[in-house]
Formats: sequence, C-alpha cells, structure tokens
Amino acid sequence: MGQTLVFGILNGALYGIIALGIALVFGVMKYLNVAHGALIIVGAYGSLFLFRLGIDPFASIPFILILLFLGGIILFKAFFTRLVEFHEGEKIKNSLLISFGLMLVIENLATLIWTGDERSITPSYSGVTFQLFGLRFPLIGLSGGVLALILISALHLFLSRTYFGKSVRAVSQDHEAAGLMGINVRRTFLASFAISVSLAGIPSVLIGLQSFSPTAGIQWFNKGIIVVMLSGIGNIYGVFPAGLFLGIIEALSVFFFGATYREVTGLVVFVIILILFPTGLLGSGAES
Amino acid sequence: MKGSKKIWISTFFVVLPALVPLLTRSEYFINLLVMFFLYVILSLSWNLQGGFNGQISLGHSAFFGIGALVTRLLWINKTPILLAVVGGGLSSVILAVIVGTPCLRMKRGYFPIGTLGLAIIAQITVGNILPVPGSLPREYIVGYSLSSRYYLALSVAVLGLMVVYYVVRSRTGMAFVAIRDDEEAAEAIGIKTFRYKVKALLLSSLLAGLGGGVFSYHQVSYYYQSPFDLSWSFLPTLTTFIGGLGTIMGPVLGSVCFLALNELFAFTLGEVHLVIFGFTFILIVLFVPGGLMSIREHIQTFLSRAIS
Repeated sequence: MGQTLVFGILNGALYGIIALGIALVFGVMKYLNVAHGALIIVGAYGSLFLFRLGIDPFASIPFILILLFLGGIILFKAFFTRLVEFHEGEKIKNSLLISFGLMLVIENLATLIWTGDERSITPSYSGVTFQLFGLRFPLIGLSGGVLALILISALHLFLSRTYFGKSVRAVSQDHEAAGLMGINVRRTFLASFAISVSLAGIPSVLIGLQSFSPTAGIQWFNKGIIVVMLSGIGNIYGVFPAGLFLGIIEALSVFFFGATYREVTGLVVFVIILILFPTGLLGSGAES
Repeated sequence: MKGSKKIWISTFFVVLPALVPLLTRSEYFINLLVMFFLYVILSLSWNLQGGFNGQISLGHSAFFGIGALVTRLLWINKTPILLAVVGGGLSSVILAVIVGTPCLRMKRGYFPIGTLGLAIIAQITVGNILPVPGSLPREYIVGYSLSSRYYLALSVAVLGLMVVYYVVRSRTGMAFVAIRDDEEAAEAIGIKTFRYKVKALLLSSLLAGLGGGVFSYHQVSYYYQSPFDLSWSFLPTLTTFIGGLGTIMGPVLGSVCFLALNELFAFTLGEVHLVIFGFTFILIVLFVPGGLMSIREHIQTFLSRAIS
C-alpha cells in the first residue's frame, strides 16, 4: 500500500508538470491545445536522438526546451494568431479543432519518420532505486518530482516577480482591458504559447525514460487535462496538488480494481467534474 | 423540389449504386463502396449533431462501437440480422441517454473534450471485458455474401441521408440551427434548447449505432474493441469539416475525399493520407469554415470581384 502510494505520488508529479503547460495556455489564452501530448512525444524523440549521440537525458533538457520553444513560436505564428480576437467559447472550440488537426499531423508524421515501435531512453541508471523507510524510490521518478518542484517555483517567480509575468496575469484576467492599458496582447499570447510548448520538454524527457510511441501523446494529454479541470481553470497554483491527487487516486484504483482500469478512474472523475462543476473543481466562479 | 429533380436525385443516390453489384464482380470495389457508405453514415450522423446543432462531439466511436458490439452479439445468438442491426441502433440510443445527455450540461467549449473522455472510457472498458476477437461461427462464414452487406450499407446510408434531409427542413432542424448560432437567443425566443440538444444527440447516436451494425455485419472477424477505436470519432469530424459543416451533402463529399486519399496512399508506409487530411482540416477550420461545399461560392465571389 505504502509502495503504491509512493509510485502514485511520483506519477502525480509528472502529471502536474504536463498539466502546467496545458494550464498556462488554457488559463491565460483560453486555448485548449490538444496537441500538447503529441509535442511531448516529439520532445521525447528529440531526447532519444541526443541520447544516441551520447548526451545524458537530463542534460538534454535545455536543448529540448529551446527546440520546443522555437517550435511553439512557429506553430503559433502559423495557426493560432487568427484566434486571438475570438470570444471565449469560440476560442476554446477553434483552438481545440486546430490543435486536434495538428495532433493528427504530428502523430502520423512521427509514425512515418520513426515507425510505430515503442521506444525508450535507457541510460545506465534507469533501474536504480533507493530504499527509505522500507519503501523503494526509483531515481528517475524522484528526479521528476524534484524537477516538478523547481519548475513550479520558477513559473511562480516568473509570473509574480517579472514585469512580463505581470502582463501575462493581466491578459489572463481581461485581455481587452489589458490591451487598453498598453500591453501587447498578441505578443503576450505568443510568449505564453511558446513557454507552454517548451514546458512540454520536461515531461518529454521523463516520459522518454519510461517508454513512448508516436500515438502515446493523447494519453498524456488526457492526464494533463484531467489535472487542469481538477485544479480549476486559470488556477495555476492548484495544478501541482491536483496532479498529486490524480496520481494518488490512480494508484489507489490500481490497488483496489487492478491495473487495467487505471486510465478509466481519472477519466470518470474528469467527466463527472465537467458535468457538475463546469469551471473546474477549485475554479473561481468568475467565469459563469 | 420539382418532380423531375427528385427523380434525378433518387436515381443518382439509390438506383445507380443499387446496380453496382450486378455490374461488377470486383470484391475490392464493392468492399471499398461498403466502407464509403460506412463513412457516409458516420459523417451524416456526426454532422446532425456537430454541424447542425453545434455540439462538436469527439465521442462518436462509443456509439458506433456499442452498435457494432450489440449487433454482433445479437446476431451470433441467432437473431435475424436486420433485427440485430436495429437492436444495435437502439442500444446506442440507450447509451446516449445514459451518458450522453449529462454531457450536454457541460459548458459549450468543454463538450468535445468531455465526450472524448467518454470515448476513451468505453474503449478501455470494452477492451478489458471482451479482449477477444469477435469471429463469426463457421456456418455464417460459409453463407457470406458480399452483396447483402453492400445493400444493407447502402440502405442505411440512404436512410441516413433521408433522415438528415427531412429533419433539417423541419421545425426541429430549424431549432437545431438556431441553438447552434446563438443558444441564448434561441432560449429567449422560446426554444427549449436542452430538449433539442437531446433530440440531436439521440438521432445522431441512432444513426451511428446503425452504422456500427453495418460494420459488424460486414467484417468477418474483428476485436470487439476495434470499432471503439478513437479513429472512428476523428474520422467523421474530419470528413464533415472538410466536406462542409452543417450542409446535407458535405459529409458525403468529405467521405469521398477521405476514401480517395486513403486509397491513393494505401501502398505507402504509414498514414500519409492522415497527414494530408489533418493539414487540410486545419486550413479549412482557419480559412474556409464552410468546407468544400462553400468553395464554389468563394470562387464565384472571387471571380465577380476580379471582373468588377
């Protein structure tokens, strides 16, 4: 039981990082990027490529972040600029449709380039575990948890302390008023989108160390969106606890119902939240 | 519509396709047409809800899958096939009542993602409960005749086309469109929006379930979970958008394009047609919201501008 919880929490940290990227664009821009999972997988292939050149997966993170950041800028410029001025409901719907098409394109291109085989990055330390209080802690899972904590603090500092972070928050509250105050809304959107895509780089390395295939993206996107809805839209600080919560309930469901229904538990919670609490569990009622 | 036009259209959609099995012995071609009708049925059903009522659903595979599953189970337990297909359609409606209607309470933008969640739940659950291929018993395979599959597929497709045609022109259809265009305004002029959304969902799920029945009648052996595959949700979304959202013939046109691309790239590795189709889909959503059906108008306005 204790061991199950440990794995649940470590998985939850990973879900939290995935959700952070989704929550940033969703909270600030009301863009729902279904292709986030597919971008994570692209990052994982990038990391695998660098690993084969002899670069350690964790050392490859900065490269992947930069690569995805640039990719995010290109994607935004190409497909998402037109949606900036849409109303909220239309924005969600159209961004969802576009990113859905994007997901299909990325997934199938990835299958063409790298075939549909399941891959994983296997450095020498991939199986290492620590013993603590009679429980096993896998090294990679732990470093994922640490990375998640670093990331969330960095994002917090960025949003609360920098001038640009302030404008991101202003735009997320009311983008018209922010525009009237002289904030360049379009540029803020572009930067948030690019940061969000580049945030996919960290889970992509962690997932790369587990295993991945071109079509695995949607499954990870699901985890992310469940966490976002659990934490409430626009509530970036709720994301990490919500991720841990999802990890724990998944672990418990594995414990009680067996591993086959692991995916189902989270999704059932997700659908129920969507029906009963349309703005997310801890979301502010401001939207409705 | 004028009488002569009516005759012309019914010839085109019913009589001509009905003659095909008499004219050709090519199993490849007939199988291709069966798949085409299947795509048409699914896209028509999707379009009724997504195109005319504005409820973009990514959960269609659940309805398609349950239709296929129930039809198969009824059929191999000695129910006549037509009854079994009707049973499949009804089971899909029941599923829609149980899990679909609560989803309509979701906020507008979240409906697609919520229904996607349901489709994944259905896929995993069926994969866990029935992880076996649903093969036909031997006596069924001995009597397998492709043309009866063909005629079933054709009749369901024509039925779907007729249902969409008449519903869209009725009061109900107008209410659907009003809700799509502005839900609050529709509510304000006295349309019971939730009731009509449920109606659209039920009609759409009935058609999808019948399509599932056609699928399970056509396939000799398949894994029970395979009609629950998410691609059966994605396919009608793509074809309808590309053909023309909220038009009667759009889904048919989109299905033709999809099938043509699919066959064109069938011999290459991977799914090139999906790359092209996904990309076209993005461009259509961004620049041509009316799909291929509206291209003619676009060209006309372009030409008239160019001339004047």
